[in-house]
Amino acid sequence: MDGVHDLGGREGFGPIVDKADDKPFHADWEMRAFGMKQASAAAKSWTIDWFRHCRELTDPVDYLTRPYFDQWLTTLAAQMVDEGYLSLDEIKSGAATFAPKPGLPPQTAEAARAAVRNPRSFAVNVNAPPRFALGATVRCRLDGGSGHTRLPGYVRGRAGVIHAHHGGHILPDASAHGEERGEHLYTVSFASPDLWPEARGSADRVFVDLWESYLESA
Amino acid sequence: MASFDSKTISHIHHELHSHLPSEPALRTRALESLLAEKKLIDPAAVDAWIEMYRDEIGPKRGAAVVARAWRDPAFKARLLADGTAAIDEFGFAGHATGHLQAVENTADVHNLVVCTLCSCYPFSILGLSPSWYKSNEYRARAVRDPRGALEEFGVKLDHRTQVRVWDSTSERRYLVVPERPKGVEDWDEEALAKLVTRNSMIGAERDLSPARATA
Repeated sequence: MDGVHDLGGREGFGPIVDKADDKPFHADWEMRAFGMKQASAAAKSWTIDWFRHCRELTDPVDYLTRPYFDQWLTTLAAQMVDEGYLSLDEIKSGAATFAPKPGLPPQTAEAARAAVRNPRSFAVNVNAPPRFALGATVRCRLDGGSGHTRLPGYVRGRAGVIHAHHGGHILPDASAHGEERGEHLYTVSFASPDLWPEARGSADRVFVDLWESYLESA
Repeated sequence: MASFDSKTISHIHHELHSHLPSEPALRTRALESLLAEKKLIDPAAVDAWIEMYRDEIGPKRGAAVVARAWRDPAFKARLLADGTAAIDEFGFAGHATGHLQAVENTADVHNLVVCTLCSCYPFSILGLSPSWYKSNEYRARAVRDPRGALEEFGVKLDHRTQVRVWDSTSERRYLVVPERPKGVEDWDEEALAKLVTRNSMIGAERDLSPARATA
């Protein structure tokens, strides 16, 4: 979707803030919000991509201004309301009125400790051979669609070179909408002058991981 | 059943905006009390996540990995070829590092990592990301003006050094292996690891020489 979250290359944001920040948490509520997001009950169909899409759909002003872990927790609440685990009436009154039956129960402390040691793989088998060879020039699709995608706006319509091929990976565009499907994943290397007018003459490059359906031969 | 519908979620967000307390601490408390009462969270598991990321998992892990890569060329080759397998030699593979890609700084190349679409980060090896990494400002600028962004961090690069920016758009996550400073060839891994900063493993710091603090 062409949302406010797609920040790469947006101008006018000014200098980088909090450069000296060295702490994982800055307040108790940040810790609780982080822990709740990580440990909560869930539906089996909730993927990382569905979570990302739900966060992208935050009101744009809130997206740009509310604190980070607050956004995580609010997004979790939105998923729970959508799933039927939590009602808006309960949010309004602060009082629980029913006991939901989540597909995946909340984590125990032991499960949390196991989850952190699990290097989850997102690789999946794709039967079709990869369309693009290393070194091939490709052009990104112009249209990102209205759902979730990991094709950033700043590379749409731009040409780059296949730098690496990673086999099949779960396609976020499908996974965010309840469908698990694999597609070849590539790292595409873009010359900065092909992305930004002010980068003329620069040898710098930007590397973006892109799925096969985002790309066409150029 | 999840709706998987963008308009439905947008609508819910607007309702939450109107009905949840605006102040983050109050909002968190309101939701925690509801989720606990409805048994949608186990407070002991929430505590476990906090303890792990406050007390145990952090950039010291990445620093230990980089220090070994500086001392042991065979390990460095394994790290660059398959980051996940290499950090698993330390038992560090885990949360968000199922597909870890290490990228190496050299005299001619400087790497910088960003996630323009959200905030992807290799948690099990660097801990939680710093505020600036998640900021709108950094996410907007890193791909377009990496040299300007780096200058704000005190990293000045001449034009012979190529900047490579890695936008973490997939579940592959990136770890920058900074250049080993001169004059520390005989240091052991433990001493070397103390030179390696969190920012240097994202690419926001370059010179790790022991003298830099006093320079």
